[in-house]
Amino acid sequence: MKSIVINNLSKKFTLSNRPKSLKDWLLLHDNKIKREYWALNNINVSINPGESIGVIGTNGSGKSTLLKIISKILYPTSGEIEINGTISSLLELGAGFKPDYTGRENVYLNGSILGLSKKEIDDKFESILEFSEIGDFIDQPVRTYSSGMYMRLAYSVAVSSIPDILLIDEILSVGDSKFKKKCINKIMELKQQGTTILLVSHSDSMVNKICDRLIWLDKGNLVMDGSSNEVMPCYKEKLNS
Amino acid sequence: MLINLKAIYKYKNMVFYFTRSEIRNRYKGSILGVLWALLNPLFLLILYSFVFSFVMKVQITHYLLFLFAGLVPWLCFKSSILSSSGSIVGNGGLIKKIYFPREILIITSILGNFVNMFIGLLLIVPLLFIYKMGININYLFLPLIILIQFLFSLSIGLVISALTVFVRDLRQILDIIMMGLFYTTPIVYRSEMIPEKIKLLFRVNPIAIIIKSYQDIIYHGVVPDILSLTLLGIVSIILLFIAFKIFNRLNRWFAEHI
Repeated sequence: MKSIVINNLSKKFTLSNRPKSLKDWLLLHDNKIKREYWALNNINVSINPGESIGVIGTNGSGKSTLLKIISKILYPTSGEIEINGTISSLLELGAGFKPDYTGRENVYLNGSILGLSKKEIDDKFESILEFSEIGDFIDQPVRTYSSGMYMRLAYSVAVSSIPDILLIDEILSVGDSKFKKKCINKIMELKQQGTTILLVSHSDSMVNKICDRLIWLDKGNLVMDGSSNEVMPCYKEKLNS
Repeated sequence: MLINLKAIYKYKNMVFYFTRSEIRNRYKGSILGVLWALLNPLFLLILYSFVFSFVMKVQITHYLLFLFAGLVPWLCFKSSILSSSGSIVGNGGLIKKIYFPREILIITSILGNFVNMFIGLLLIVPLLFIYKMGININYLFLPLIILIQFLFSLSIGLVISALTVFVRDLRQILDIIMMGLFYTTPIVYRSEMIPEKIKLLFRVNPIAIIIKSYQDIIYHGVVPDILSLTLLGIVSIILLFIAFKIFNRLNRWFAEHI
């Protein structure tokens, strides 16, 4: 069974002064100005369990949109997507954190948003605490944390369970190099355990280290899909031309 | 609906934590804290009984108890609907970034209001003491009525929360509707006072059935209208089914439109 199957997937965004109030609905219904924008165009990808895939492309190529559709935050305009297995996404770390709550409370709150039971979080708590290197600050409100500590805690919660599919979007740009290394090790560990990984990154070294296969998107179109050695040189060439 | 219920069950821990933080946020930083859940209805009770019983001389004995039986559940219904109106729009940050069953936001915001109502219902202790009354066997119907009230509030709340994403004025419109509903529901007056000619208008008001049941139990000490309650229960479940359908349909657009 495939891990992710994407069939003829397209995503359209409508950029307009969306009717948001009743006045707009009533008065501007006929002459509202619409601009359509296709963030993804007819994408076909199929991913096997355990593959680690880098999604590359310049800004606005649709990488993040693709990941958001896979994680069910956005829905496709047309086409189909089939996902088999549990997903953990590192798209926006700490989105569910409440500044006034302590680190410990936020771990439980955030864990619950990820669908974990209290017992599951209890079991993982020690390893989360250890991985995050927060120490005694865990019982302080997170508004007192430095941004590095904040990200470390959020990251630790997010990778605490072993998902079938892991989605990562440009989040490893924070934290010191030591923690970054630890994060990459953690991802490699998950990879070894058979987790399917989708990574969006502008860092070539990261992509090279983690990914075996690359998907190159440009303006919403799939340009190339193949092994890293195959795609990376072409992408580089295009960038420099 | 079954898929929704399954997802909610899987995320039950989130329901718990979010309801708790809903309650905590409401009174966070206030000196009297959760005591406000008692003081707020208490002040309203005193104010309304001053206006309607003392100034306007509404002829209802034990007016404070009568008012209490209708007002506390009404306040819960009103704030359930108003707060669910903002529960999707107000959580844009989460919805744009993390996947979870969105309906949990509405459930927890309504649950928060119900916990608030439970605290408000404690006012019955001093009231029964003042009027030298005891509780009666009919109080056993309360859990059923509360359940029906919850299902009804949830079905309305789900639709309202989703529609508010697309029409932001809904919040203001709801304020007006709620004011109208308050005075057209027998809360500050008894249903017997409604002129015969327009009684039918009041009979189809689902809130009135719920409020009347509370009054039957707490004020009159009689068995509530089981037939109406059963009907409302069935209607609520059908409404909930439809509400989930609408919610699921609109859910696709939430992340883009907030």
